[in-house]
Amino acid sequence: MKKVLALALITYREGIRNRSVFGIVLFSLFIFGLNIAVAGFFMRDVGKVTVDMNLSALSVAGLLLVFFVGVNLMAKDIDRKTIHLVLSKPISRVEYIWGKYFGILFFILASMAVLFVLSCFTVLLLKGMYADYFGQFSWLVFSLAAFFVFVKVAVLAGIVVFFSSITSNSFITLVFSICAFIVGVSIEEVVFYLRSAFAAQEAAISGSLRSFIEAISYFVPNLAAFDFKTEAAHGLPLAWDRLGLSLGYAAAYVVVLLLLASFIFRRREFN
Amino acid sequence: MAIIALQKVSKTYNPGLFKKKVLAVSELSLEVTRGEVFGLIGPNGAGKSSTIRMLLGLIRPDSGSITFLDRPLEDADIQSKIGYLPENPYLYDHLTLEELLAFSGRASGLSSKETSSRGGELMEKLAMTEVRKRPLRTFSKGMLQRAGICFALLHDPSVVILDEPMSGLDPIGRKMVFDLVTDLKSQGKTIFFCSHILTDVERLCDRIGVMVGGRLIRILDRDAFAESSGPALHLLVAPLSEDQRRTIEPLVSDIAEERDHHVVSLPTAALANVSEQLKTLGVEIRGSRSDRLSLEEIFMQAVEENR
Repeated sequence: MKKVLALALITYREGIRNRSVFGIVLFSLFIFGLNIAVAGFFMRDVGKVTVDMNLSALSVAGLLLVFFVGVNLMAKDIDRKTIHLVLSKPISRVEYIWGKYFGILFFILASMAVLFVLSCFTVLLLKGMYADYFGQFSWLVFSLAAFFVFVKVAVLAGIVVFFSSITSNSFITLVFSICAFIVGVSIEEVVFYLRSAFAAQEAAISGSLRSFIEAISYFVPNLAAFDFKTEAAHGLPLAWDRLGLSLGYAAAYVVVLLLLASFIFRRREFN
Repeated sequence: MAIIALQKVSKTYNPGLFKKKVLAVSELSLEVTRGEVFGLIGPNGAGKSSTIRMLLGLIRPDSGSITFLDRPLEDADIQSKIGYLPENPYLYDHLTLEELLAFSGRASGLSSKETSSRGGELMEKLAMTEVRKRPLRTFSKGMLQRAGICFALLHDPSVVILDEPMSGLDPIGRKMVFDLVTDLKSQGKTIFFCSHILTDVERLCDRIGVMVGGRLIRILDRDAFAESSGPALHLLVAPLSEDQRRTIEPLVSDIAEERDHHVVSLPTAALANVSEQLKTLGVEIRGSRSDRLSLEEIFMQAVEENR
């Protein structure tokens, strides 16, 4: 565990000192500022728009962090052969995978925690300015929704580590990870549609296509399970069992991904 | 006792679909004993780096066996006993040398106190103390190489594997690394290294393996070097008068005239006698050279023979 943490620590430092992080934080600040500037245009919906914009900014920042900084934290190690140096130390390949994942996770957690605090200031400011339109707003639901944005990014970090373990090029890892994200956010709706009465009337959807998408849905992450933006925007209560289920799903998905990555990585050769 | 032993090790790379397989190492057998400095030389693509990667377990041989202290590589826990410096080490851009060494220490199971004292010692030896808090991305190529050496040697390994340790270093850096390797040698460490700088290999190594096209074609040891010396010795002396020339001619094999001196060629055994005679005649000896073949010449010969 000491070695995993040692590796996680240098991965975290390497990530947090990357200049792109400042760009991503500035981008989020711009969105928060924009939110303050345009909030008055939305009248009664100002509370909903504020929550929606803040959570969306957190989500986009998280995606940028994991895809443009997180990918480099592991894939570049393999690309640039830094891994030769690391694996020449008494660190097993399994420890390497877990160390890298925890490093990326700590880095995303730290960055998103800062962004969340900034986001809270924005909400606090707008809540003070337009108190009448924040009647249904709940700090708890907003915080939980923001936490699940982090959970979604943590799952994507697992996907990045998985693809880094099977490819030796950071660009390919990035492309595969983005594809997995796109499929992941839309798969739930596609499956719902296929199971609906409307889809049954569509002649163009063959049985084999239906089975294929059903099968795929078990492999790709259902990222919609971590989206609580609507509930946060409308101040709707969140069921704890649903939250627990989503969290359990994320943890199980990441553990399976990392076990698979470890299995592949142990057999891999590094030229 | 052999620390590292390779028995008929072969490795082929598969560059991808529809591409011909590349034979990197073929039937390589060699042994490196305790306290020995073994140098591996060869042209680019000879299989030196592949051999090192197989030793480190980064790639697996297709056939043959590699043992470390008589145990198969997989069971040998080799990483805790070796220090490795790759050619052109790519280190973490945003870390400082101090943080990199702290990681190396933790990964090797050292305490923070041990890491800091050993790290300080190595940084001092390699003149890196002043830059220890600077991000590695600001380092020059030579500084990165020296940082890589600190990283490799932090846990005081008994076996050191160096891939082109002098690459990218200026003469001062080369001298530092050279002294460090000599120091490691005097401590009884086993050193396995590849280099293109043959003079360094010649000066440092007890044995030298020559690899060409994935095959080990020759192993030279100190005795083989002595044998490679020619029988003649050449003394560079001040210009000789006719009388002086006549006196020493019967004792030597040849006297030739070069720009502002004469070159007296003689069998090595006649050196004492001839130098005594030259002293009596008052002839100044300005220098000497031998017929000894340099490693470069031996290397070029071996490569040519095996093309």
